Amino acid sequence: MSKILIADDEPHVLRVLKLSLEKEGYTVETCSNGKEALARLEQAHPDILITDIQMPVMTGEELCKHIAQHMPKRSFMIFVLTSRTEIEHREWSRNIGNLQFLEKPVSIRNLVEKIDNYFASAPDSRRVS
Amino acid sequence: MQINQRFGLTMIIATLLVMVATVYILFDYQRGNREDLARAQGLDLARLLSGMSWNELVPQADKKGLLAVLKQGQSNPDFAYGAVVDIDGRVATEVTRSGVIVPAGDIVNEPTSWLGQRVLPANDAEARVEFIETHAPVFNEGVHKGFIRLGYLRPGLSLSYSEMPFLATVMLPIFLLVPFFYFMLRREIKPLKDISQRFEELAEQGGLEQIAMPPSEVLNDFMEQVSGYIDATQTRLEVLNQEHEDLTMSSKLLTYKSNRVDAILQNFPDAILVIDEAGEVSYTNAKTERLLGVEANAMLGRKIREWCDNPEIIPLLTFGDAKANLQANQDTVQIKLDDGSEKSLQFSVYPLFTPNNESKILGRLVVIRDVSESHLLRQRQAEFISHISHELKTPLNVLSMYSESLLTEGTDNEAYRIEAVNVIHDEVERLSTLINNLLAINQYELGGVVAQRKHVRMHEFLEDAFTNISKGKAECCEFELDIPREMSMVYIDKDLFRIAVNNLLTNAVKYSQPGGKISMSASETEDSIEIVVSDEGYGIAESDQKQIFNKFFRSTDDNIRQQTGHGLGLSLARQIVQMHHGDLTCSSELGKGSRFVIRLEKVSTQIMDAMAS
Repeated sequence: MSKILIADDEPHVLRVLKLSLEKEGYTVETCSNGKEALARLEQAHPDILITDIQMPVMTGEELCKHIAQHMPKRSFMIFVLTSRTEIEHREWSRNIGNLQFLEKPVSIRNLVEKIDNYFASAPDSRRVS
Repeated sequence: MQINQRFGLTMIIATLLVMVATVYILFDYQRGNREDLARAQGLDLARLLSGMSWNELVPQADKKGLLAVLKQGQSNPDFAYGAVVDIDGRVATEVTRSGVIVPAGDIVNEPTSWLGQRVLPANDAEARVEFIETHAPVFNEGVHKGFIRLGYLRPGLSLSYSEMPFLATVMLPIFLLVPFFYFMLRREIKPLKDISQRFEELAEQGGLEQIAMPPSEVLNDFMEQVSGYIDATQTRLEVLNQEHEDLTMSSKLLTYKSNRVDAILQNFPDAILVIDEAGEVSYTNAKTERLLGVEANAMLGRKIREWCDNPEIIPLLTFGDAKANLQANQDTVQIKLDDGSEKSLQFSVYPLFTPNNESKILGRLVVIRDVSESHLLRQRQAEFISHISHELKTPLNVLSMYSESLLTEGTDNEAYRIEAVNVIHDEVERLSTLINNLLAINQYELGGVVAQRKHVRMHEFLEDAFTNISKGKAECCEFELDIPREMSMVYIDKDLFRIAVNNLLTNAVKYSQPGGKISMSASETEDSIEIVVSDEGYGIAESDQKQIFNKFFRSTDDNIRQQTGHGLGLSLARQIVQMHHGDLTCSSELGKGSRFVIRLEKVSTQIMDAMAS
């Protein structure tokens, strides 16, 4: 089962995404801020991390930077949900690989497509259809 | 005057001296002449008589001697005596002028000494007279018998009465001429004296004018010259006076202009520093002292390092090689002040060129502007935009996802459908409140908000607002409401006031710790109404308390940062309360909670009532 970890402080977003992705056959775990996500990453070993940027305690930006610094050999993909479209607000991610931005409002179909594509192209796809 | 008198006196003395000298020279000349005459006549006569025989010269009995004839025929007034003496010096015969005795005097009986002349003193010592005597040998039939002696008075300097008329004739005209010349001179000098006196008076008055010319032909030329000179001097003086006046005027004008420029520069809203080529400060204004916290005297004439220790400012005011950088540039630095606060200073540096040589640099003009406000504002605006876009897009995101999931889910799952519709409803509500807040604050700032006042029952109004916030949140906080039922009606804009109260309550919920108590109470006195919203949340740090009502302000406290917010709520709340002639204040203690108090003056509402009726 391919695992997806979602971090967002908005419970409604977590709920809809969890429902929608589980329906697509993924195992989904949720948490409400960056710090929780970091703790879960150690144990859950997800294939994909979906995170919001503005979250209390630890923001998505801080989470990604922490991951880039402490897990240089990570294998999972990161999708960042953002409200900003300007390039300067994505500057911080320039040196972080395997990271993609998704603009709010996010289309679930679009997200599912991207996740499917990712697993399709990944050589060690662990997705169970 | 004294000079003139002295001059006259000197002239008289000089003239007298000249007279005496002239008389002396005349006398001396006359005396010399007479002596020469006496010597020549004596010699001629002695030679003549020497040729006669002894017997002819010495009178025989009853015959008169030749000498007697000689005496009678003598024309020289200086003739003193004539005598014939034998070889032993005995007088054989003599003739004398009256009062004269033939002086004794042996003649050396040598043929070479027989003819000669000598000076002999008179026998009478008191007479102080000398004789010039010529002697010659006398023979009788070829035998040397004796000598003939002829004496003349040697002329001296003593005046004789006979010469008095001559002297008087010579001296009188001279004597008469002296006073004549003196008076003539005095007459000629008089105009000069007058002029001199006039000059003296003018010098005392310090004036310069033309002096009336005295009627003197001799002085005409001189006076014309003087006159011309005075005219020229007067003209020059007028020119100089004019120039002096012009200079004084332009100096006053310059001083005035310089003072005006200085006043402008001193009152300039930005700090101004002029740094010369040597790197020393040559001008500062009052604002510089305030901005940099350094007194003008400490800066003027000194290099930057002597009065500035801020490592960020020093390189901005130090230019090194003047030719290296002739471009104007701008830089902003943050400086920490002694009281711990921070300032953003924008340094604009402009090169100062010499007016007629653009390549030669005189120094730098540095304009320092305090951009703390605008810097903060920009920072807060950027944060605000960030928050707003998040705040707007988050509900939008939820709306989008739910609506999309409804489309794909279809209507089979009734429970999910109801849940989705509820969430969509709530999120639309949330979006609407946010947009209302934004519009309100924007309108208020543009001056476009006009309070639409109505009579409102305080109890109902506050209870409604409180319930709206507290519903569904019972699990996180404890809510307490204490509003007396019998409160007076208030005259307010219900919608606006609702925003203010809502913002206070939302904050209380947002920044409360789980289980904390949130309470709202109201009280009324004779002249005012107080509404208090308090919580037991994180509280507000003292340093933040001054700023919480500023637009876009967000505390840096971690607990506060955990909550989403856009720094508008309290700012808007206070503006709304002030619009109702009230006041919104805050008291808080970190870790213990906050207490916000809205105080509305009842007087003002009564006046409003009166105005409305």
